[in-house]
Amino acid sequence: MKSQSPNPALVLAGLLAMIPLSPALAHTGTGVQIGLQSGFLHPLTGADHVIAMVAVGLWGAQLGNPAIWVLPITFPLVMAVGGLIGVMGIDLPFVELFIALSGIALGAMVAFNVRPPLWVAATIVGVFAIFHGYAHGKELPDAADAVAFAVGFVVATGMLHLLGILIGVAVRWEAGAKAVRACGAAIGCLGVYFLLGAIGIIE
Amino acid sequence: MTRLVRRAGKAGALALFFALTPGLAHAHLVDTRLGDFYAGALHPLTDFEQVLPWLALAVLAAFQGPRVARWVVLAFPLALAAGGALSLVLPPPPFAPVAGVALVALTGLAVAAQLRLPLAALLVLAVGLGLLDGYQNGAAMVATTDRFLFLSGVTVIGYAFVTLALGCAVAFLAGVGGWRPIALRAAGSWVAAVGIMVLGLHLMSRGVG
Amino acid sequence: MIARCATVLLHHCAAALRRPLAGLLAMLAVASAVLLPSAVARAHEATMAVITLREIAPGRFIGQWTMPPVDVTLQPIFPAHCQWNPPELVCGERGLTGRLSFMGLGSKQSVATIRVVPRDGSPVAYTVSAAKPSMMVASEPGTNLAIWADLADTYVNLGIDHILRGIDHLLFVLGLIWIVKGGWRLVKTITAFTVGHSISLAAATFGWVGVPERPLNAAIALSIVFVGVEIVKLQRGEPGLTARYPWIVAFAFGLLHGLGFATALTALGIPQATLPIALLFFNVGVEIGQLMFVMAVLALMWAHRQAQALLPRWGAAIPAYVIGSVASFWFLTRI
Repeated sequence: MKSQSPNPALVLAGLLAMIPLSPALAHTGTGVQIGLQSGFLHPLTGADHVIAMVAVGLWGAQLGNPAIWVLPITFPLVMAVGGLIGVMGIDLPFVELFIALSGIALGAMVAFNVRPPLWVAATIVGVFAIFHGYAHGKELPDAADAVAFAVGFVVATGMLHLLGILIGVAVRWEAGAKAVRACGAAIGCLGVYFLLGAIGIIE
Repeated sequence: MTRLVRRAGKAGALALFFALTPGLAHAHLVDTRLGDFYAGALHPLTDFEQVLPWLALAVLAAFQGPRVARWVVLAFPLALAAGGALSLVLPPPPFAPVAGVALVALTGLAVAAQLRLPLAALLVLAVGLGLLDGYQNGAAMVATTDRFLFLSGVTVIGYAFVTLALGCAVAFLAGVGGWRPIALRAAGSWVAAVGIMVLGLHLMSRGVG
Repeated sequence: MIARCATVLLHHCAAALRRPLAGLLAMLAVASAVLLPSAVARAHEATMAVITLREIAPGRFIGQWTMPPVDVTLQPIFPAHCQWNPPELVCGERGLTGRLSFMGLGSKQSVATIRVVPRDGSPVAYTVSAAKPSMMVASEPGTNLAIWADLADTYVNLGIDHILRGIDHLLFVLGLIWIVKGGWRLVKTITAFTVGHSISLAAATFGWVGVPERPLNAAIALSIVFVGVEIVKLQRGEPGLTARYPWIVAFAFGLLHGLGFATALTALGIPQATLPIALLFFNVGVEIGQLMFVMAVLALMWAHRQAQALLPRWGAAIPAYVIGSVASFWFLTRI
């Protein structure tokens, strides 16, 4: 029976594709939609966040086991702690500074292919995760729909990680490994640029 | 070759499933054209606070293997229906909103940890979630809503959603590659992150208010 | 055949009652059927409202409900340049052109029609539904492409709406899927059902055949009972007509169900000129809705196999008994 039945996965995909999206689109401007949109765009609009997040994925892929699976699972949880601090309205000092610094550090680690013990790696990533989460958490109380906003920025963040990991898969090949290190160097340089911006040396 | 196509198809279906779920969630259609049954069926899908733990519950069940997981297919919809029925007779418990968000965090954390649960614990979780969400959906009915049709819609969509998500997750985990459970665990940790932050927000606003 | 079918069902019920557990389940099914009908009947009722506007002088109309609305809050909304002082509508030189809509369309009242009877020319009907709550009216409905697109939008949605609300049709299709399982046989069976109901839908819409509604609905209920009995027979290893030649059964009962679909369309009082195109779009809508349902059932069956969440052997007949009991209850209430 199995040989003659249509591939159920395709059937399912077709079914889901047919779910009419027009009623969904007809109701633009609800809180859920606005929250989702603004949440999704929030991490993507800050270039310092974007490069540091891609660097997290790159580094995880470069470090290989077990970092490649520890990082994507623990990052969101540490980020949530940062988010909580932001939600509670506690003022963290030097947010921009720390994010720029973690961009530099992460970029440098990738560029020089540094392989510290896992806890060192986790700490560097963790600092970034806390400040990253904080920046978003601060926006949460003002969001049109808090859950949708959180889902939006979590999905965007996860996709940036995935992007980094997918680029990082190239370390299996020699040329790819070099390309990954070049990416790390570029991220480090951008981090320096953002650092100078954060401490007010350049506008 | 066919196996490969089949697997790719499954992966595609899974991706589509997850990609379209938030798309559906835009619509807050309490007034749908298809009557109160479909209004009930769409209502839970408009709310991430319900969709996220449902997904997490299905993945958590899939981690326990089909022999344990399949009882969720039976228990969860029944609990949804019971919760909906309860909403007709009981006033809303004050802890319902916080409990809903806490369950997002809880189920997400359990998936991230790839928790091994005995059948009883999984069923308690499924029934608790079903009762609470059934209650919350039931409470969304207005005076003119046909209660029987609306609650049937909620129950049917809960059954269909959890069964499809469970089937997809089991099929996904059955594939080759150690990265598959890790991908699901990462997804669980994202759900947990959402839950933790929003829970913090809820508790904060309660403390202030 | 119908009588035989009923006796077979009774025989099965009696057999089920001899085994305590199955009997209990059958009784549960009947109990749920008793609880179901009020809601189901409401769900499938064509809640139509029709207002007819007769042109008594150029740009002046007298409106009258030919089929009054169930929901008293339902009111037509006319283009801004028209003054609506019931029952008089004054539109002036521009005539009745622009956007027509209804206020208060919702779950109680899902479809409403405005019939316009001009002084010269044939009457035109504009149907709006909760899915498509407004419609453009032009002075020349026959040539304007936008009007045709509007017609397509309205009637395709009406078709989808009708099949997805019609739990008896869906239950029959579910029974067919249950017997045929999947694969090419299912494609052929569903196609046969589609061909069958399209033929009779067209025949009934054009008035070539007419069947009184009550016996028709009873016969549709009986067709579901028949499929339920066939499932049980198949599970006992005695494949019946449906298991051997599913397309014949699907085609024959498709003819019956098509007559049922037609009642939704004929109730609208669509003028002859637009009837063929309305029928076409309505039928397309019905097929889209049916395909959505079939896909949903197949996807769920796939998920159940993946999760190994299958009914134990002693309970394999429960769905068939539920389908059969619900349908026989409908049959009894409809005769």
